[in-house]
This record gives sequence, structure tokens and C-alpha cells, in this order.
Amino acid sequence: MTPQHRWPDGPDELSAELRRALDEAALRGPDDMTLRRGWSAIATPMPPARTRRGFWFAGGVATTAALALAGSLWLWPHATELPWSGHGKTVAKAESPAPLGSRRLTLEGGVEAVLGRSSVMRIEDGAPRIEGGEVRFSVPHRQPGHPFVVRAEGYRVVVVGTRFGINVDGKAEDKTGSRTDGQKAVGVDVDEGIVEVWEAATQRRLARLTPGESWQSPDVAAEAPAGPAAVEPAPAPSVPAATISTQARMLRHVGKHPTAHALALASPGEITSERATSPAETPTAESTAARAALAAGDAPRALQLYRALAQGTGPSAENASYEVGKVLNEKLGQPANAVAAWRGYRAAHPDGILRVEADVSIIETLVRTGDTDEALSEANDFLRRRPGSERRAEIARLAGDLYRARGDCRHALAAYQITLGASRPRDAVEAATFHRAACLVQLGDAGGADAARAYLRAYPSGKFRGEAAALTSGGGSAPRP
Amino acid sequence: MNTPGLMRAAPTGGSLTADLDMVARCRRGDGVAWRGLYDRYAPIVYRFLSAFGVPNEDREDACQEVFVAVYRSLARFRGEARLSTWIYRIAARHAGRISRRRRVRSLLSTLLVQQPPPPPAPDPSERSERLQILDELVSKLSPKKRLVLVLFEIEGVPIEEVAKIAGCPENTAWSRLHYARAELMAMAKKRVR
Repeated sequence: MTPQHRWPDGPDELSAELRRALDEAALRGPDDMTLRRGWSAIATPMPPARTRRGFWFAGGVATTAALALAGSLWLWPHATELPWSGHGKTVAKAESPAPLGSRRLTLEGGVEAVLGRSSVMRIEDGAPRIEGGEVRFSVPHRQPGHPFVVRAEGYRVVVVGTRFGINVDGKAEDKTGSRTDGQKAVGVDVDEGIVEVWEAATQRRLARLTPGESWQSPDVAAEAPAGPAAVEPAPAPSVPAATISTQARMLRHVGKHPTAHALALASPGEITSERATSPAETPTAESTAARAALAAGDAPRALQLYRALAQGTGPSAENASYEVGKVLNEKLGQPANAVAAWRGYRAAHPDGILRVEADVSIIETLVRTGDTDEALSEANDFLRRRPGSERRAEIARLAGDLYRARGDCRHALAAYQITLGASRPRDAVEAATFHRAACLVQLGDAGGADAARAYLRAYPSGKFRGEAAALTSGGGSAPRP
Repeated sequence: MNTPGLMRAAPTGGSLTADLDMVARCRRGDGVAWRGLYDRYAPIVYRFLSAFGVPNEDREDACQEVFVAVYRSLARFRGEARLSTWIYRIAARHAGRISRRRRVRSLLSTLLVQQPPPPPAPDPSERSERLQILDELVSKLSPKKRLVLVLFEIEGVPIEEVAKIAGCPENTAWSRLHYARAELMAMAKKRVR
């Protein structure tokens, strides 16, 4: 090995440190979600570009013209007129050009839907119904008790805030390939969050899907041969033989838009879609009355209605059970009773779709009422039980603040570390970054000042910049939460 | 200090025949082959972009853009170099473009006496301070030296491949590596002092 091929001499400690840093850099890599998002963006191969040297100049002109045209189309506000579907002729807003024949729509509540080339989606009673093809949704976090519901054949897909796709596949075809009147197969796959699949006829939950899991309705699971004889009627209540698989599905994702896209579609047909009037669950008479009572300021009446509704079954009852706590807390000023109601919800629906909301509501209410011991216990329990929750960072930050208020910086550090492992919400991460530094300083850790400097570098105009600057000069002390 | 790059495993990749076969299948529109190519090279491209100093907020998009460029250029892959070398070359070109774009943006902000663009937010997944310091030091190297150092020391690419990616003779690659290491060590010493 020539000298040229060796590292220059330096202090051993420094060399070792550099070596460790290089080793760490070599281990750095994207997480699974990043890779999946990346794959989503490039999943469908495009025709390779063919350049012919002899036509460079002409090609350049054509490309420039095409780019100008594409740019003007991109910038030009455009809307797509869509067919009539029984609720009035409506116009769906195409937010941005979705790739390769798919169409991106923004529904009310910020829900993004991407319909593939031959997907059919209608809005019925304010909720989308998918009639064919694949539609992928990106649902922003919903208000507790107001899940987003999508119907597909005899199923209801209930979500709080997540990314998922539904595929209604025209497998029920006869041998000539023409569609029969039978029920189509339904597939659901989840990218983020939690999704529940309910049987519409029986109000029974068939599956609860976590990220990476997918569900398919029974006729697909059975791989029934095509033909009229194989066409299954609407799923019978006694046949919940659907399959849940953990096979990752491919999604397409463009840039930073949080919307997943449709894959190649199985069933041909026209694109039919509308602006949703309300993405919330189809209201029952009781829930409508309860909401009306709340709107009229009659909270006791709403509470009564929600309590009655909570005695039933299905998602409406589950929602009502959660709403009882909300009304008690927000409208009637009874936080202790609200906590008891949410605990009742948890007992009745240990795996309920609003379970995380109930947990978070309990913790926040306990903090607000000053019951910090109980709040901390709930927060720790949440962090232990929900390693993948999207609310984890917030709760960890809250736990960190509670520990810090007790002067327990060691435990606070561990909690802040959990928040720092997430990238959002940004304010929680920022607060955790600063408070971690403050805790280190308070513990006399030499890294405290560096951590404060790192905070200042990352958040030069952050809300703790003054305190962080004081920490770097050794003059600060950990602020109280 | 030894040469970590020489001891690090070379990036995973197939033989030249396997590479050619994969590329041919991708060109025919074989989705499985395309997925295979992505699965094999996406983590490498992402790591390379990180090490080269593409900021966290641009990295994901940059990685996707590299693969779009890869796909568009598949017809031009003749198998004269390993597929990994070829993909690194595309990624390096792209990373250089991003770095230039940031520099221009920063310069324009200065010229227009505007607020300079904020420094890139730290990647929460990279909490090691050691790694942050390394990134900071590496970003101060000139693009040519940075490319060689990242490929050899972090990516573990053999020097002959590094030379092909950088588009220079092997001796030049060694020379750039030598100076890059020296500068890195000097900066590290200065920082310690």
C-alpha cells in the first residue's frame, strides 16, 4: 500500500472518531416507509426515452414546447367535469396531475383520493362508494368520533386518519369476460394508520388492519373460477372467511405529496367521481339528532342521545361511546366524568378504532385537571403499548414535561428521546430537542451545551432560542414546563 | 488509520451478466425486474445522497428522481461498467446538480439581501452528533474530492470503479482521495482545537 493509499497521520483518538463516523455513515439508510414511498413514485415503468443524435435540435425545440405546454397545464387551474350520478352534476377538483392516467381528487375534509384509469367512485349519502377499480386515499387525521367511511360492495371501510387503498375487482365475470351482476371482490390494504373493515349488512367488524396488512373479501380468497356459477351473492353474515395478508402492496407516491396512487386496474370502465359532500360516516337518526342538539347548545340532550346510541352495536355505537366523554368534557365541564366515560369506552372496545383517541383524551384531560401522577401513568402505559402510534411523539413529549416538572430529568430525557425519534409533529420535536438540552445541562452533562447549540442550528428562530442561547453560555437552567 | 473503504463490503450488485439480464427485462417493461432493481439499489442511492450532503428534505425526492433518470436511461446501458457504477454516476450527477442549485439559491438570496435559506433541518433519524459533524466536514470538501471520498470511504466502492464514476483516471482518483482525507483530518483537528 503506497502512502497515497493511507490516511494521513493524525491523533489516534481523532482517527478512531473519524473512522467511527464513516462506519456510521455507511450504515445510514432509508426506513421502510421511505423506500415504499419511493417505490410508489416509480412503480409503473415509463417507456424509456429514445434519443436520436441526428434530431437533437428538433428534439430540443419539441421538448421546450412540450415543457412549456406541460407547465402551462400544470399552472392553469383546471377542473374535470364528471358524469351525473344522482346527487347533482358536480365538478371534482384535480389538484395536480396524477401520473399515468390516474386522477387525483380532493374531497371535503382534505381527503385525497387517487382514482386509477378505470376506477368508478360515486358519492352516496355523503360517503364515497367504490364500484370498480382501485382508489387510494390519504386521509388527514380526523376529529375523534368522525371517521372517514368508504363503501365497497357489501363492506364499509372505516378510518380515522391514514393512507390506504381499496380495490373493487371485477372478478365476477362470465367466460366471455363480460360483467355479471354478482358482487365484486373487494381488497383493502393499509400503508399507514389503522383501518377497520365492517360488513355493512350485519354491522360486524370483519378485520382490523395495521400498516402492511391487507384484506380481501371471501370470494377472492377462495380464488373462485370465473363464470356465473362462481359469482357469490352478497357476503352472508355467517361467512366472514376473508383473508388478511401482510404482503406489502405497491403504492405510487409523487414528491412530498402525501397521497398514494392507484396501481394498474383490473376492471375497465369510465371514471366517475364527485366532490364528497361529507366524508363522515353515514349518520343514523340518533347521531344526527345528537349533533343537532349539540349545534343547538343542548348538551344534556346530546349526551342522552349519545348514551342511548352507545348501547347498540357497530361503528355508530362505538363513536357514540367516545362522544359521551367528549360532550362531558367539552360541553358540560365534567372532566372527571369524561375520563370515566372514555375508560368505559376502552373497556367496551379494547381494540376500537378510537382507542388511541380515547387514550390521548384521557391523558390530556388528566394533565389539564392537574392529576399528573395518573396522567404520567397513562402516558407511560400508552408509550409501552403503542410503539407504532402516530401520536407517540406528542405523548412522549408530554411525559417528558411531566417528568421534568417533578425534577426527574433522567426519565424526562428518555421520554424526549422518543419524541426525537419521530419527525412530526414539528412543534413537539422542537420542544423535545430544546428540553432534552435543558435536562442535560441540569444533569451537568457535558453534552448539554452542544445539544443546545444543535437546537439553535436546527431552529434558528425557534421559540426557545433565547433560553437555548443562555444554555450554551452556561448561564441557563432548565425552564419549567 | 487504515483505509476503511478498502475493508468495507462493496455495494451489493449482481454479475455483469445478471445486470444485463435485469436491465433487458426492465426495458421490456418487466415490473418484477424493475422492482428488483429498485430494491437492490434504492438503499444504496439513498445512502450515497445522504453522505454526499443532499439535505434531508430533498433526499427522498432526489432518490426518486435518480430512479426516474435510471429508467429513462436504461436503453443506453451497454454493460461496459457494472450497473452499480452506472447508477452511482447518475446519482452523483444528480447530487451535484442539487448542491449547485442550493449554492445558487443561497447566492441569489445574498445578492438580493434577503434572508438566506435556513440551514437544512437535522434528520431526526440521524441523531448521532458524530455523524452530523462528519456531514458538516464532508460538505466543506470540493464536489470532486467529496465524491471520491464518499464513494471510497463510505460506499466501499473499489477505486477503479470510483474513477469510472468520477470520470477520471485511477491515479487522479487516488490523488483526490488523498487530498480529501487530508482536508478532512485537518478540519477535524481544527474542530477539536
